[in-house]
Amino acid sequence: MSTLVARRVRVSVGTALLLLAAAYVLAPLYWLLIASTKNTSQLFSTSTFLPPSHLSLGANASSLFSFGGGEFRYWIINSAVYATVTATLATAVSTLCGYSLAKYRFRMRRPVFGLVVGSLMVPTTALVVPLFMLESYLHLNNSYQGVILPLAVYPFGAYFMSIYALDAVPDTLMDAARIDGAGELKIFWKVARPVLMPGMATLFLLAFIGTWNNYFLPLVLLGDPTKFPLTVGLATWASELHTAGVSQPLYPEVILGSLISVLPLLILFPFLQKYVARGLTFGAIAGE
Amino acid sequence: MTATLRQGAGRAEDATRRSRSGRPRPPAAQRRAAAGMTAPFLALFAVFFVAPLIYSLVLSLKAGGTGAFAGLLNYRSVISNAQYWGGVQRMAYFGVIQVSVMIGLALVLALYLDSSYIVGRKFFALVYFLPYAVPGVIAAIMWAFLLEPDLDSALNVPHLLGLASGPVNPLGFRFALYAIMLIVTWEFAGYNMTILLTSLTNVPRQIIEAARIDGCSELGIAWRIKFPLIRRTVMFTVILSIIGTLQLFNEPVVLNDIASIGGNYTPNQIIYNTAFSFGNEPLAAAQSVLLAAITIGATVAFYSIIRRRADPFAAARRLR
Repeated sequence: MSTLVARRVRVSVGTALLLLAAAYVLAPLYWLLIASTKNTSQLFSTSTFLPPSHLSLGANASSLFSFGGGEFRYWIINSAVYATVTATLATAVSTLCGYSLAKYRFRMRRPVFGLVVGSLMVPTTALVVPLFMLESYLHLNNSYQGVILPLAVYPFGAYFMSIYALDAVPDTLMDAARIDGAGELKIFWKVARPVLMPGMATLFLLAFIGTWNNYFLPLVLLGDPTKFPLTVGLATWASELHTAGVSQPLYPEVILGSLISVLPLLILFPFLQKYVARGLTFGAIAGE
Repeated sequence: MTATLRQGAGRAEDATRRSRSGRPRPPAAQRRAAAGMTAPFLALFAVFFVAPLIYSLVLSLKAGGTGAFAGLLNYRSVISNAQYWGGVQRMAYFGVIQVSVMIGLALVLALYLDSSYIVGRKFFALVYFLPYAVPGVIAAIMWAFLLEPDLDSALNVPHLLGLASGPVNPLGFRFALYAIMLIVTWEFAGYNMTILLTSLTNVPRQIIEAARIDGCSELGIAWRIKFPLIRRTVMFTVILSIIGTLQLFNEPVVLNDIASIGGNYTPNQIIYNTAFSFGNEPLAAAQSVLLAAITIGATVAFYSIIRRRADPFAAARRLR
């Protein structure tokens, strides 16, 4: 009996802790949802976590999409373009590289693998300032390619794929295809690609989220507001909240804009969680 | 493992001629395919990774303004720059506290979710992982508004209770570092918990069942059996966090924009300001190179301490 009581106490202590942690995670997101329905004066006068008596969501939305010549609309499209193209390119390039590292023996195999693993240690933000100077020299800064190409270099992707392909693509199957007269490209497309698909989905999602969330690199490389992604655009608006001379501080616009920039991924996340989690853990547990 | 790999890759080569080194050499078709498939990655890598790296090394040896060769002048000026070291020191302090709290929290949550006590395991696992889908900038904007006394009525409660002379301002300079810790922990505790939880599901269930039959408590199982088995993964999350801490940029930038906590709070902010506010790109390059060296140094130092007992990169050995 007493062990049952003890167990019950432990279960409720545990559940309380888990609920507390869940509240920590959800509170700001809940606040964002509530705050997006308030106008500036309501933000400063109504209770923080309660909806206002009169919803201002519609007015906020029309102001958000029309302010500054409707630049917010550009930012949504830009974020979608940057994330989709970068993720596609990064997945294709790192899959090919990882697959050949795992499945072919060639002279440069060890050096290339060493390069891939070694570059995982280089903090990528250290490359941003020199990247800006290099891109100015090549006239690539302030362009879509200038943001997409550096982000498509994804050494983790090549590392991930090399270990993924090792087990996923059986050598016997490749040999059988060779005996049947298939070329190496055909083997990749018909034999390897189908079994690598789940791994590619993981890579695509990781690269997509990474690009969607990136701030430092586009901030440095872009100057034209119509090329900004959501992160850079919204941070620019947020930085002008206290600037003297701005006729109207953009609190509701920044808040609703933030909500719109996180909503699509948050809604899709329950379906994507499995694939994303696999990618994160891969490097650490594959050897255990 | 290495043996499996060799055997696998070698099978197709049995019939092929041997190279000078005595190893079987794959047919030309396979060598061509390998070269073709690695080429796109290597080309992008060379232009957008290696070139900036080399360029920053070269640039860091030039004089700001004139662009003449200046030797190690920039490095000397960084090394004697109190502001730069202040930023590095702040991140070291930040890292020791925030990384321990965050990984500790992630570990406790992961062990709890993996134990037999929990109802709604899937729900909690999903909720904790959600912030991963939120950009750091947006997280910082949300929290900055929540921590701003004018906007958050809850911060007035201590004042109303007579505990404080005015509304609490967590974004004052004194507290800003802790506000950033709160934000970064919010962003990444669940991310790290997800890594640990996936690793925990790989712990063989027979071991846990055997311990339970032997009368080991859930706490004992978590601490004496599960934790040692996922130690490698814990170290992996610590290394990722150390690298992330030294690169901190988004959150302090946004907090400074909204609440003026100071624009030279972290090394990356200092580098950004040196390059773009002061236009001294060579000095910024030297600061970048030094920060990369400090980051790699800290990572390697930590790695060499722990690798004997828990090597998080054991997986890579299969391909070496």
